Amino acid sequence: MMNKTTKWILWSVLLVFLIIYPLVFGIYYTNVFVTFAIAALYAVAIQMLLGFTGFLSFGHAMYFGVGAYGTAIALVHIKGLPLIVSVLFGFASALLLALVMAPLVVRLSVTAFAMIHMAFGMLAYTLALKLRNITGGEDGIGAFPIPPLRIPGVFSIDMTDPTNFYYFAMVILGVSIWILWFVTKTPFGCLMVGIRDNANRIDYLGFKLPQTKAVLYLLVGGFAGIAGSIFALFQNLISAMELYIMHSFIQIMQIMVGGIGSFFGPILGAGVFAVLEELTSRYTQRVELVIGLILILVIMYFPTGLIGMYHHFKTRFFTRQAD
Amino acid sequence: MLLDVKNLNTYYGDSHVLQDMSLTIAEGEIVALLGRNGMGKTTTMKSIIGLVKPKSGRVIYQGKDFTGREPYQVAKAGIGYVPEERRIFPNLSVLDNLKMGIKAGRAGKVQSKNRWDLDRIYEHFPVLKERSAQKGGTLSGGEQQMLAICRTLMGNPELLLVDEPTEGLSPILVKEVRDMLDDINKAGVPILLVEHNLKVAMSLASRVYLMGKAHLGFSGTVEELDANPEIRAKYLEV
Amino acid sequence: MDATTAMYVAQGLHGLAYGMILFLVASGLTLIFGMMGILTLAHAAFFMLSAYFSYQVMQMTQNFWLALLIAPVVAGIVGVLCERFLIRRVHVMGHIGELILTVGISLVILDAVKAIWSTDSLYVDIPECLQGLVSIVGMEYPIYRLFIIGLALLVLIFMALILYKTRLGMIVRAAVSDADMVNALGINVPLVFMLVFGVGTWMAGVAGVAIAPILTVFPGLADQMGMDAYIIVVVGGFGSLSGAFLVSIIFGLLSSYGVQFVSQLAPILMFIFMAIVLVIKPVGIFGERE
Ligand SMILES: Nc1ncnc2c1ncn2[C@@H]1O[C@H](COP(=O)(O)OP(=O)(O)O)[C@@H](O)[C@H]1O
Ligand SMILES: [Mg+2]
Repeated sequence: MMNKTTKWILWSVLLVFLIIYPLVFGIYYTNVFVTFAIAALYAVAIQMLLGFTGFLSFGHAMYFGVGAYGTAIALVHIKGLPLIVSVLFGFASALLLALVMAPLVVRLSVTAFAMIHMAFGMLAYTLALKLRNITGGEDGIGAFPIPPLRIPGVFSIDMTDPTNFYYFAMVILGVSIWILWFVTKTPFGCLMVGIRDNANRIDYLGFKLPQTKAVLYLLVGGFAGIAGSIFALFQNLISAMELYIMHSFIQIMQIMVGGIGSFFGPILGAGVFAVLEELTSRYTQRVELVIGLILILVIMYFPTGLIGMYHHFKTRFFTRQAD
Repeated sequence: MLLDVKNLNTYYGDSHVLQDMSLTIAEGEIVALLGRNGMGKTTTMKSIIGLVKPKSGRVIYQGKDFTGREPYQVAKAGIGYVPEERRIFPNLSVLDNLKMGIKAGRAGKVQSKNRWDLDRIYEHFPVLKERSAQKGGTLSGGEQQMLAICRTLMGNPELLLVDEPTEGLSPILVKEVRDMLDDINKAGVPILLVEHNLKVAMSLASRVYLMGKAHLGFSGTVEELDANPEIRAKYLEV
Repeated sequence: MDATTAMYVAQGLHGLAYGMILFLVASGLTLIFGMMGILTLAHAAFFMLSAYFSYQVMQMTQNFWLALLIAPVVAGIVGVLCERFLIRRVHVMGHIGELILTVGISLVILDAVKAIWSTDSLYVDIPECLQGLVSIVGMEYPIYRLFIIGLALLVLIFMALILYKTRLGMIVRAAVSDADMVNALGINVPLVFMLVFGVGTWMAGVAGVAIAPILTVFPGLADQMGMDAYIIVVVGGFGSLSGAFLVSIIFGLLSSYGVQFVSQLAPILMFIFMAIVLVIKPVGIFGERE
């Protein structure tokens, strides 16, 4: 294991990197990075559900979408809404949806859970398309005011400036990911792993299984909502397309490519996808082909993902040293 | 040796449920594999038939290596498997269940007087004929056990693996199943039998293997086991 | 018959035709996903691929019947190859491995189709003998839609015969409840799975050829249909052909009458139906297991 000093050095390096990133790489890559970071939070949240409990959701784009619409609609209708409060609106909308869904889904089997989420996910997508006067349908809601980040009389930072927004997004997304990470280290996190490894035993110990799952479910829905909320602010646009089923699958793929069951795997996976999209869209028209082939290769030859690959090579390296 | 199982090591995930398990079966004999619940008897059978893949060790049948092969390949070579819990196909009729056991090309390899087919099975077990149109799932426990054995017989096996055939049956049915296995063996089919009813096992088998947790504890003839109460106490009594 | 009744009947027939096409796709999926437990998201891609094959055959021979014969078979062969060399190997990983893999396969097929045939809508003609209208109880109705209903019924009967009258069907029905036991009885289960995958894909292929003249052939052809088929299998109950049939027809009718009466909300009707069914009975209408 790394000792404390190296750990602190690594964290500081990461922090410095995040701070100077927009200054070094310019606006274009700053925006690419924000897109990646949003995907990372979203994927980490889904991974909590998938990796730590074995529940596969085919419909979590609805939480992302509801978070995004929550923020956008609040900003359209409430004049002078503070920035942070608009994000809270997104979080709360997603949480509310999760609160309604939780009693329906926490008792289901893994397959039924996946299917019902796909069904409700498609329902949400169709509703977003059809309820035009609320959601704007295909065109979505765009060009809503982006309030500055301010404390009256102290400071006011313009959030339409990409660099400023970058720092704001990094703080919100970073803190969110940190909170989720922290949760995995609490007794509640251990309980989740317990649910995955032996559902019956945890129930036996006196913990209420459905309730435990429900708490986790709320957490995951809420943070997917925050990712959506930041997305809406970042794009200044949210349309029904973001709720399309493919957006539920992509997160699962990122988790898979990064490595299922590890907390940081999804971040890695989101990074790989961001780089891939960037590269393929630049050098070839065949984005789908490249992503398709990569998925096939990963699942056939590296089903444990990049994290698994890392462990694989690390073990080999160490065994060779021992010879 | 008809079947030669050497040093099987089988895992479920991280748990090592067979440790260097070995046994042999010769032509014509009934061999009992005994031990308390959870020792690995079923896993031994599954490792032979190929339903679980051992990490190391060998399964040699009729001189050929079948280790790690697909179950259908092992079954086609002549090993018949009657599983614990019977595993009747509940939605198929009794007749279809029997037909599922037919293995193309195997009947020709057996002497015609020992050959099992639908007629001979119906003749031996008229109750199955009576119920032939009924769904497998509607049979009673005893009938299901009979059907499970007959289904495997339809494939004309040259070696039978039978896992706990009398489990949950009434004393009359236990005797019936016992006699059935005896008949099958007298007709020339060697049997590896896992059985909790010690009386049944001892009355059928000529040799026994006793399993301790995941490994072989004792092997010998029925007489040796009979004369050895400590061994029985160690491996069998609860 | 007055005009209103005629309209009801016409909408009903339209719904029936759409429901039958849905059923062709969904029943293939019932075989593969419902019965064999292989979660494939590539099913819709094969449906689309077969439509393109039929366009190609039509281009070369101008013969619809030849297209109907060849295209689904070629699509089925592609499906079998995918099963044999890719899907089979990830089956042990469970549904998530199959999900990723088949999404990958879909993307590759989608892109290959775009590369070969471009993204334009391609037109496939209805064969001459099926063009025009026929008069049923005093109203005009397109022959081709009746043909689709007949074709789907034919495939349904064919499949029922295979399932309930052949040894292969018996093996499939047995494997649904206990594939390992079937394997241990000496039956080459991997081969059976491969065949079933081929037949299921072939059925989607037939639907693809049948729909091509109505909707034209384009890369997004499978989006709606694939989703609907998937939902049908879940709502009808995993592995239940009759469930798939019932729900296909209900969906077909919901969509045609829905457009008539609540056009705005028509697509949502299916989801509401599905949500209600799944909340009440998570295993689907005729489902017994999960
Ligand atoms: N599918 C399985 N997964 C994990 N462990 C198993 C599985 N099947 C059996 N075991 C374990 O392996 C051991 C041996 O089981 P088994 O071979 O069924 O024993 P026996 O037939 O002697 O009662 C037991 O401890 C059992 O709990
Ligand atoms: Mg056992």
